[in-house]
Amino acid sequence: MVAATPIRVLIADDHPVVRVGLRNMLQADSLIKVVGEARDGVEALELARKLRPDILLLDLAMPVVAGMEALREMTSGNLNTRTIVLTGLIDNRQILEALQLGARGVVLKDAAVENLTECIRAVMQGQYWLEGQPVQNLVQVLRDLTAQTAPLPRKTFGLTAREMEVVTLITEGCTNKDIAKTFGISEETVKRHLTNIFNKLGVGNRLELALFALNHNLLPAEGG
Amino acid sequence: MPVNETTLASQVFDQLRQAMASDPAGFTELYRDYLADAWQALQMLRKAVQQGQAEELRANAHRLKGSSLVLGAREVAQCASALEEMGRNADVRGAGAAMAQIERALLLVQTELSDRLGPAVVPADQTAAL
Repeated sequence: MVAATPIRVLIADDHPVVRVGLRNMLQADSLIKVVGEARDGVEALELARKLRPDILLLDLAMPVVAGMEALREMTSGNLNTRTIVLTGLIDNRQILEALQLGARGVVLKDAAVENLTECIRAVMQGQYWLEGQPVQNLVQVLRDLTAQTAPLPRKTFGLTAREMEVVTLITEGCTNKDIAKTFGISEETVKRHLTNIFNKLGVGNRLELALFALNHNLLPAEGG
Repeated sequence: MPVNETTLASQVFDQLRQAMASDPAGFTELYRDYLADAWQALQMLRKAVQQGQAEELRANAHRLKGSSLVLGAREVAQCASALEEMGRNADVRGAGAAMAQIERALLLVQTELSDRLGPAVVPADQTAAL
């Protein structure tokens, strides 16, 4: 039998007591290995590039480079590291921003000891984690979060009316087949629409498209 | 004796203790470091309130909130959160009462920890407080 490879974790928090507490808690799990600790955002980025951890636990409020900025850098840095945001308190807008910047989970500090190992495992399995549990429908969560934050003017980014409708259905989780049926067109036509949409928006897949649409207020208002 | 969950969340404490079962001295040290840091933070918070330094108040309160949340000292975290908000709003009215509350809360945590882990958990400069 081959032993499972431990999940390699980097902890980034400016408070040494928090780092020691989390490190000890995580290392009690034989499938998790803490490979490094960072005291600020700059160190977090440096160590993430150097150590290539599977998971970065990132405090949002850190000195030098704040967590959200570090997250932005992480996402653009083309690393395979999945980031879980650690925070004392977070509002919907910040959750939305963190997810848009590539965070795979948000864990509140008061639940860190109880939830963190479970969250790490879920994220490693490709899931997202919010409010103490795996996210069942990310697009719906994003829609809800977006609806709860102040609306911005709707933009089209050069999309045609039909392409905008396709985007809306994609964010609702529709398949190509569903979309074809809704508009009475072939699946091939839907694929062409999607290719055009991807090219115009510079996204590579449906999830990126959904995130882009929510981030850029590309969707019609609820009920509208 | 029933545990006051707002003083020290037993699930957090127990889970951490279990995780560090092979290193009980390290576990005590972790909470001693927390207490030492928290008392120091209180001094800095007091100074920030006296001198009207809102950003200092916010930053130190935020830091104390973070460690208190992770280690289960929820009432201290709540008080720190209130002070953080005052700092963020640059409005320190009511900070005196909040300071008194946070000090009481921290003393309760320290007493609770001393009961559970023994006097070694209390930082050297705080033993007179017990």
